[in-house]
Amino acid sequence: MPEERARPLSVRVSNAFIYVAALLAPSERRAEWKQEWCAEIWHRWQFLRHTGEWNRREKLRLLRNSLGAFVDASYLMARLLAPLLAPLAAPLTAPSEGTRARIRELARSPFSCLYVLAIPLLLIVLLSSGLPATRELLSARSHAPTGGTLLYMWLHPFIGGGDKGVPSDLVPAWASHSHLLEGVAFFNISRKPVSTAVVRDARPLLVFTEAKFFDIVGVKPAAGNIPHEDAIVLDHAAWLSLTHADPAVLGSKLHIGGKGFETDYRVAAVLPSSFRFLSRQPTVYLVQRVPSSAQVLVLARLKPGVEEKQLDRELTQIAQNVCYYFLKSQLRYQNWNSALLIPFRMFGVAALVACLIAAAVFRLRPKHLRAALQPENRAAAAHRAIFFAAKVTLALAVVFIGCLEWSRSESAVLLGSRDPGGGPFLLWLYILGAMGVLFWAVADQRARCRVCLRLLAFPVRIGCPGCLLLDWSGTELFCSEGHGILHVPHLSPSWDEASERWISLDDSWRDLFAHEK
Amino acid sequence: MSETAKLSHTAALILQTVDNGCSYGFDIMDETGLPSGTVYPALRRMESEGLVSSQWEPEKKALAEQRPVRKYYRVTRAGAQVLEQSQKRYPLLGKLIPKSRR
Repeated sequence: MPEERARPLSVRVSNAFIYVAALLAPSERRAEWKQEWCAEIWHRWQFLRHTGEWNRREKLRLLRNSLGAFVDASYLMARLLAPLLAPLAAPLTAPSEGTRARIRELARSPFSCLYVLAIPLLLIVLLSSGLPATRELLSARSHAPTGGTLLYMWLHPFIGGGDKGVPSDLVPAWASHSHLLEGVAFFNISRKPVSTAVVRDARPLLVFTEAKFFDIVGVKPAAGNIPHEDAIVLDHAAWLSLTHADPAVLGSKLHIGGKGFETDYRVAAVLPSSFRFLSRQPTVYLVQRVPSSAQVLVLARLKPGVEEKQLDRELTQIAQNVCYYFLKSQLRYQNWNSALLIPFRMFGVAALVACLIAAAVFRLRPKHLRAALQPENRAAAAHRAIFFAAKVTLALAVVFIGCLEWSRSESAVLLGSRDPGGGPFLLWLYILGAMGVLFWAVADQRARCRVCLRLLAFPVRIGCPGCLLLDWSGTELFCSEGHGILHVPHLSPSWDEASERWISLDDSWRDLFAHEK
Repeated sequence: MSETAKLSHTAALILQTVDNGCSYGFDIMDETGLPSGTVYPALRRMESEGLVSSQWEPEKKALAEQRPVRKYYRVTRAGAQVLEQSQKRYPLLGKLIPKSRR
């Protein structure tokens, strides 16, 4: 047999695989198993060597084939363990009647409902690698720029029209005449296809702005210098996704395409990873001296102690006196910090709207509340309320966190709307999600025992709607613990005097049913 | 294994290959194009079911040729019967692995 040293690397690595895989094989067969595999590898190598086919492809094939040893060893071990595991696996493969009953009971339990809701939450945590968007949102205030208050502003929408930016020539007028502003810069948000040497037609967030913008938000570039005009500044996420973290990105070309807008720009700076402008999405800043559109959004830093009312008065005065603009609608201001928390507010509004709709649809009335507050019902009602609250909280958390992580946006600004409160997609996602949760929660609660909160079972259909000899027809559901029966009538008999379902019409209805003579 | 036992197409292919004279695991992989992770567990299962038997070649011979001892596989009588049934069930089996190739 040739010396061990003469064996090529691929054969030695293959043998190493066999030695590791042998650990999985049953100990009594291990030596023989190892011998068989090693002999096969040796013979394969020798055969290929003698036929002159020992090339790179065959070496890789040998390595790949030797990995099959892990499967082989696992198979042997599984066969060895199969008789031992059979009694444990039996209840799962063919559950007995008792096991089935236990599974059914478990499915009806209120705790199962909460566990089932916790699973998607856990999945979202795992799939999103620890909820980065939610964590950033919660710590938004901690990484907001320091110093005076930052506001961004636009005009109040006209009736029947969309939101408007302010006229672009107001920005230099405010910059030179305002005594209440520390700094002011224009910006606009757009989405146009962007191409680099490594990525084609990506659609990052494109922010058109001026050099002062970066001073106002208080960010210094991690690499390069902020340009004065017609150059690109990339944020860290854009640097990673558009240039694949190219260390020589400074000075390279970046192509911005789109309808009536197709130019190459030089990359002048990359921003630090800690900086984000209301978004976690990759953002490309195109620095311009003069805005390319007639209307712009404005980012301004206020001097300490200045209030919005004072600022509004001053800015309106400057607009009238310097630029002769008599604005027909109010300027709108949005605080930077509160803008970061917009998703929370949006979700709160969505949840409230959904609560009201659900209450209306399910006819939740004050008399239900009064009955629940009676001393004899109080403990059970508290249980029901706690379970309902826990269920709704968990389900809403799944919706909120899921939407937030999936949308990958911290602000609705990024969704194309100038007004962050009107970000349509995220808002609709929240409303639909919250409504779905509340409808499900109320429907689920209705089908539970009022004492033990287990789902009612054994539905029995009584009578039929066409023949009401049994006084009523409908379905009866039982609590499996024997706490009670829920009657769900299909059609109530009209002769039941005590029934609340018969409503007598008063004289005001007479005209409607008057017969023509 | 009972006479009515049915083999999967892959297992039948491996059995046919062993019957054709490919006695070693890596040769079977070459002939069938199946990966080692399929061939070896299938051989183990068929061995436990009595369709194939394995034996180590004489140690003296291997030592004389200065090479490690190999384990080879052969189709048993029961295996041959099952293979015959499988050939009826999978008519293309004989065409896929013809005997003349070995």
